[in-house]
Amino acid sequence: MEDTAVLEVRGIGKAYRKRPVLRDVGFAVRPGECVALLGSNGAGKSTLLGCLTGDRLPDRGEVRVCGADPFSDPRAAAGCMGVVPEKPFLYEELTVAELLRFVAAARNLPERVAADEADRLLALLGLRGAEDLLCRELSQGMGRKAALIVALLHGPKAIVLDEALNGLDAPSVRRVVEELDRRRAGGAAVLLSSHDLELVAEWCGRGILLAPGARWASLEGAAWEAWRAAPTLELPDPPAAA
Amino acid sequence: MREGAGLLLRLDAGRLRGAVRRPRAGALAGVLLPLAVLAAGLLVAGPRLQPRVDDAEGAVLFGLWVGGAVGFLAHPVLLRPPDDGFLRRLGIPAGALYAHRAARVLGLTLGVVALLLLPFASAGTGLGRPLAVGAAAGLAAWGAGLLFLSRAALALARGGRAGFSARLMAFDGGLVKAAPLVYAPLYPLVGGAVGAGFVGAAPGVSVLRLLAVVVAAVALAALGARLFARALPRFAPRAAEMAFEPPPAKGSAGLVTDRGLARLLPRRVAAAWARDATVLERRFRWAGRIAWPVAVGGTVALLRWGDAEAVRSWVAAAGAVALAAQGAAVVGLGRVERGLRWIDRSVGLGWGARLGGRWAAGLGLAFWLVFPLALAWGAHAPGGPGWAWILAALAVSGGAAAVSVSAARR
Repeated sequence: MEDTAVLEVRGIGKAYRKRPVLRDVGFAVRPGECVALLGSNGAGKSTLLGCLTGDRLPDRGEVRVCGADPFSDPRAAAGCMGVVPEKPFLYEELTVAELLRFVAAARNLPERVAADEADRLLALLGLRGAEDLLCRELSQGMGRKAALIVALLHGPKAIVLDEALNGLDAPSVRRVVEELDRRRAGGAAVLLSSHDLELVAEWCGRGILLAPGARWASLEGAAWEAWRAAPTLELPDPPAAA
Repeated sequence: MREGAGLLLRLDAGRLRGAVRRPRAGALAGVLLPLAVLAAGLLVAGPRLQPRVDDAEGAVLFGLWVGGAVGFLAHPVLLRPPDDGFLRRLGIPAGALYAHRAARVLGLTLGVVALLLLPFASAGTGLGRPLAVGAAAGLAAWGAGLLFLSRAALALARGGRAGFSARLMAFDGGLVKAAPLVYAPLYPLVGGAVGAGFVGAAPGVSVLRLLAVVVAAVALAALGARLFARALPRFAPRAAEMAFEPPPAKGSAGLVTDRGLARLLPRRVAAAWARDATVLERRFRWAGRIAWPVAVGGTVALLRWGDAEAVRSWVAAAGAVALAAQGAAVVGLGRVERGLRWIDRSVGLGWGARLGGRWAAGLGLAFWLVFPLALAWGAHAPGGPGWAWILAALAVSGGAAAVSVSAARR
């Protein structure tokens, strides 16, 4: 395992009822990087992210989050990671402010620092004024923004976003991207699953493309530049034999 | 760990305040109403349902009731709370999660004991001994439940080959895989019986014996904490995969809208019925499964010992519990439907058609429970009108359908 990688996946394999979804997938995300996780519906993006967040057990291979195995050292992995799952969980009976206070306490963040950071993120994402709304009253986009704040509140080194920008209005997406850029400049790494190919092409530095049949490709350097020129969910042709 | 558990308990208090501040019709109808109906039923039928706790044998029977309820309730609270993934991702220590969930199970246990004391209260008998026996049963079931459910979770998290007891359920591959969890509720059941029998074997109220049960229960729960911590990281993903549904055996042929009795109904009602029956069968399969042991056991008991009033009372109680559980599944269908109502609106499926379809689906679910019981009751139990079961099924499925449709909201 490489010491510098914040997120590392090596030789991951996963099948559901004998139907392979991931086969020998491996990549690393280093500090400051944004890596896109691409693929059509059902290609295995959420499964792969689930293996990183401890929500899916890989059949084989290794996963490390800040050097910690999320299955044998889940607290260390959770402490360095901020996750927005595809279907974020929010306590319906709590207000947004109560939820954030709970998250700050659960993460053992200093009260004042957490309150200031929550306030800043609420303002950034346009949720100021919605602090006293019950989470069940939030719209889909507002719920995702609340989930983003939950994920970012403790300043994680690894930020894992599964379709997290879906349902957000364009100015909010821009502000989230700017915030994530600031965090990347500070050494955080972002792994982003998204169907917004234009955003991904513009923002991320490389990608992992998953395809049906447990096939995948790592897009870096020239391959990434070629993909950015014509974003697609088709795997690139393998290089012809010499 | 204590700090984390305290934080989670404060979270519970905050959520409860939120729920009280703005109560939801679904929560009132889905939780409080059935609870009130159950409590009222226990109070009214009290003297007939009241087990004798004068001797050890009666205490064991009471313990089985308490232990069975605790075993049934402990599994989702300890192992499958909806916020499990969220809390794990926040890095809350396993010990704190365990302590918090153990406290929740203890609260439910005390609630079960309190409910089961209602028949004694309504009969006007002294509560001292039933309370001691019930508390012993509850605590023993609590400790055994925490330990053996944690052990089952660890076994499941580790994977491995199916043992003999698992292979006994070879008729259902899903049950074989989940065998440790399937058998785990038997331990709190036995624990409840042993705890109640131990305290009930002494005359009067034996404080010493009760204390011994408390110590044993806390020791069992403490042992469970270590197993739970080892199981936690791998159990949830493993359990989530087990919940993954393979394509249905009949494929899309499961949903037929114009066959049999459905032809007698307006087409829209028939469509809603077929849809709801299919979803109920796939998503709430347990609601169909619980009917069989009650129907078969109840029918055999009525045919063999139907002239004994105690047997009829127990069969009636078991049938009522199964019917209530099936009603809860119908209500649950409405809860999982939230956000999906647009489908019904966009195809013009009105409130009446949805209610009619759901009522029919609920009645279909209850049919295999109440039909054999009604026949057996009518044929062999003197003085008992069997058709009351059919009326009960009509009323429960109708009420549950109305609650379910209103719980789905817009």
